[in-house]
Amino acid sequence: MNDNVFPLGKEDLLKAYRTMKTIREFEERLHVDFGRGEIPGFVHLYAGEEAAATGIMMHLNDQDRIASTHRGHGHCIAKGVDIGEMMAEIYGKITGACRGKGGSMHIADLSKGMMGANGILGAGSPLACGAALAAKTLGHKGIGMSFTGDGASNQGTFLESLNLAAIWNLPMVFVVENNGYAESTSVDYATAVDSYADRAAGFGVPGVIVDGTDFFAVYEAAGEVIRRAREGGGPSLLECKMVRFFGHFEGDAQTYRGEGENEYNRENNDCLKLFRARVTEAGVVDGGELDAIDSEVLAAIDKAVEEAVAAPLPGAADLTTDVYVKY
Amino acid sequence: MARNLSMKDAINEALDQEMSRDPTVIVMGEDIVGGSGSPGEDDAWGGVLGVTKGLYAKHGDRLMDTPLSESAYIGAAIGASTCGLRPVAELMFLDFMGVCFDQIFNQAAKFRYMFGGKAETPVTIRAMVGAGFRAAAQHSQMLTPLFTHIPGLKVVCPSNAYDAKGLLIQSIRDNDPVIFCEHKALYASETDVPEESYTVPFGEANIVREGSDATIVCYGLMVHRASEAAETLAGEGIQCEIVDLRTLSPIDTDSVVESVENTGRLVCVDEANPRCSIAADIAATVSQEAFSSLKAAPQMVTAPHTPVPFSPALEDLYIPSAEAIADAVRKTMAP
Amino acid sequence: MNGAKPVVGIIANPVSARDIRRIVAYAGNMQITDRANIVLRLLAGLGAVGIERVMIMPENSGIRQHVVRGLERSSNLGEGRFPAVEYLDMPISASTGDSIEAARRMQAAGVAAIIVLGGDGTHRAVVGACGNVPIAGVSTGTNNAFPRFQEPTTVGIAVGLAVSDPKLSEIAFHDNKLLEVDIAGHREIALVDVAIVAERYVGARALWRAQNFKELFVTFAETEVIGMSVVAGLLDPVDRDTPEGRHVHFDNSNQPAWRLQAPIAPGVIETIGIESWGRLLPDQPIAVGAHSGSIAFDGERELSFTEGDHPTVTLRTNAFRTINVAACMNIGARSHLLSDQHGNRAPTSTTTQPQLEEPV
Repeated sequence: MNDNVFPLGKEDLLKAYRTMKTIREFEERLHVDFGRGEIPGFVHLYAGEEAAATGIMMHLNDQDRIASTHRGHGHCIAKGVDIGEMMAEIYGKITGACRGKGGSMHIADLSKGMMGANGILGAGSPLACGAALAAKTLGHKGIGMSFTGDGASNQGTFLESLNLAAIWNLPMVFVVENNGYAESTSVDYATAVDSYADRAAGFGVPGVIVDGTDFFAVYEAAGEVIRRAREGGGPSLLECKMVRFFGHFEGDAQTYRGEGENEYNRENNDCLKLFRARVTEAGVVDGGELDAIDSEVLAAIDKAVEEAVAAPLPGAADLTTDVYVKY
Repeated sequence: MARNLSMKDAINEALDQEMSRDPTVIVMGEDIVGGSGSPGEDDAWGGVLGVTKGLYAKHGDRLMDTPLSESAYIGAAIGASTCGLRPVAELMFLDFMGVCFDQIFNQAAKFRYMFGGKAETPVTIRAMVGAGFRAAAQHSQMLTPLFTHIPGLKVVCPSNAYDAKGLLIQSIRDNDPVIFCEHKALYASETDVPEESYTVPFGEANIVREGSDATIVCYGLMVHRASEAAETLAGEGIQCEIVDLRTLSPIDTDSVVESVENTGRLVCVDEANPRCSIAADIAATVSQEAFSSLKAAPQMVTAPHTPVPFSPALEDLYIPSAEAIADAVRKTMAP
Repeated sequence: MNGAKPVVGIIANPVSARDIRRIVAYAGNMQITDRANIVLRLLAGLGAVGIERVMIMPENSGIRQHVVRGLERSSNLGEGRFPAVEYLDMPISASTGDSIEAARRMQAAGVAAIIVLGGDGTHRAVVGACGNVPIAGVSTGTNNAFPRFQEPTTVGIAVGLAVSDPKLSEIAFHDNKLLEVDIAGHREIALVDVAIVAERYVGARALWRAQNFKELFVTFAETEVIGMSVVAGLLDPVDRDTPEGRHVHFDNSNQPAWRLQAPIAPGVIETIGIESWGRLLPDQPIAVGAHSGSIAFDGERELSFTEGDHPTVTLRTNAFRTINVAACMNIGARSHLLSDQHGNRAPTSTTTQPQLEEPV
């Protein structure tokens, strides 16, 4: 097989598939378990958008910091956060990634460079700029990366951060995950000029648009913007056009969508299906190898759920800890 | 060796010494270099009131002027603090926190708790507070209660140069986010300040005057007003004990309660507006913890429930006066 | 003209030209408001020469909003500057598919010409769907060989003249070549170039890794354009009218027969190994040499192919028509289509003698 058939080797292709599949099944499982009333609070699912998180995060290491969104499970998994700890956190258990104090919207693992999912839209952009500033000041080759949706990209924080990153020439990548809906409101309505890539140019930041349902498109473009940041080329913006398979949050009736929209997306814009077709048709990966990963992933999710359900809840003594390092 | 130093110079010295000691300390804010990119002097201002003047010459690019984007740079300082730096961000006037409050109270304050104790956010946010500069409603507030209310933040408000230096060094070295409030009317006030580096611990009030008849609890500029009042009252035979809180979160309620147990009378002074103020908080705490020691109802002396007015005639009425404090003490002494 | 007033179509698809070449090269950034102003300039040009109706492809990215604002303001001022504009009633997918659908609908509606804003990719999409309707192009793309940059006001005037004045019909239209690719029974076209590259994935689409180039077919090979056409152009130029194209084989070994420096993307000049090149004659299907890889049409990877697909490439001449803006303007000037006579005095032409100074 020609070695430049794909931009990454077979091992990495399988790893990418495993990550995307893990995100998908994690979210599909939450969808079911939430529907059964087993999960407290509310969750925002990343299903449908896996190619973006995975194609981007394949280029990052633990020193690279990402600031995520309320729809952060996919970013967490792709950045290497343990799914057992994530699941336990979503169940509000003491064994969770945040000891049950954060929940779905605040999962973080700083050791993996995951600065946190965030319940405040657009709040991550300045934080990631800070990570980029730290990398630059400390002289390591890490980068900062913020994720915002098409909605949060209308926040002042996002726009201020583009300017800040540009004037300080920060090693920073702004990822805009444009799934067409800010909660229920269409990007066509809420954004005057709905190309965030073009908007970035107003700040002297180059921006590109990529098909966020195509792993290879994201992978290739992300590789370039990340390399640019590491090499001192400054900030850039990567806009991924993508589809959200579920509602804004679980329980969203999604009556704002067009008729048959979700079914169409599942049929035609499923990044996992597209990936599978591409690599198997090229003969690089055998369908059976992917099937095996599917089974392993399902087993891992089952285990994560079982352990989360069985894990103890935090106790009264935990209520008042972890507020300060020292008080 | 100690010299007489103004609070402004003491703050400058604290920043200078910490930047020299620790290369991860960076300082950023609007005009803190004060001339970046302009045709004239690079560090023309050194802060809007010159507090950071001269630091750029010594520490160069570790002092960064920022665009007028409070959310972006306060957020960047917070983000950087979770990634190995100890940023000191200057918000100029604490009133400007309205622009970037999310980064402070939803991000910095909550990281440690939300992330299950795994995050450290060693950021210091310096800002000017307080009235008296004829700067009107949006540049003069004492917003300490807002920050004190938020779990996860530490709030500091020194009343003199010595404390300012020691508390600022402590703030920079502290691993939690600190809101460091500098009363602009105190920048010129001088005390003895040691040349060497030192810290003043958080959560330890300073008994600036001992007395047996009444306890006056205060912080910042009000310490000076309380001292004037105490001087006047001493002439009337009333001996006041003045407790300078120094830090409002953590807050040294033990020292306050202990003092009230000795004096039996409490006057809480706060330049902030009265509702949910530090004064109200202290009054409530003492009522709960030391009710049996109280010989009279606790008194609060605060700014009125109004914005800070502009006209000097009104602003002078707005700020709690030594006379008002003395009156409050007399009220607790009344049979 | 058959008596009915000619209608002109405009396709300005906002999705064009925001690709990775802004990162891997130094490609431009045509903002939405710029694109909208181009539409308004076209409309002004069309309106000035009597076009009364224009049909426009709808989109939701901001071009329409800006254009409608411009039209309303002009109407409020009573200027009468612009023709009546109607937006096609079609679903919007925010993809190249919109250009294709709009071209199809405009052809069905009987437009006399379509003006295309965009680069090679957008033009290709329109040509593939508009049948024999002539097109005129304004370059807004990232990496263009096909459309030239021309002042849109002028393009509007020229198109307006071309479709409404019989005097121009002889010279207004220009026939163009294209490339047809047949792959496993499926037909695709390219206006300028078909490149065969080693990558088996479409990815970020653009071409910039010269080491993966395998084979190139071009309809014309110019020396002053950017992209793949210039690669052939710098080896053996051929213009847009000559009924032949060029076919190049690349050589990525360390010892290629030729090394060529070519500007394959804005600001990116690559050294490319060349094995051979030759003429590409019309109507003769040429089998692609590589067994697998991807096919890039007009600079964008679009299809991957594998053993058994056996793609072929065929050059076609007189394949579609464009409007020759310069010729229209020249004839328009000579025939006084934009000038008319007032009063009794005949327009006079004077010849100004240059005042030569004595050499010092």
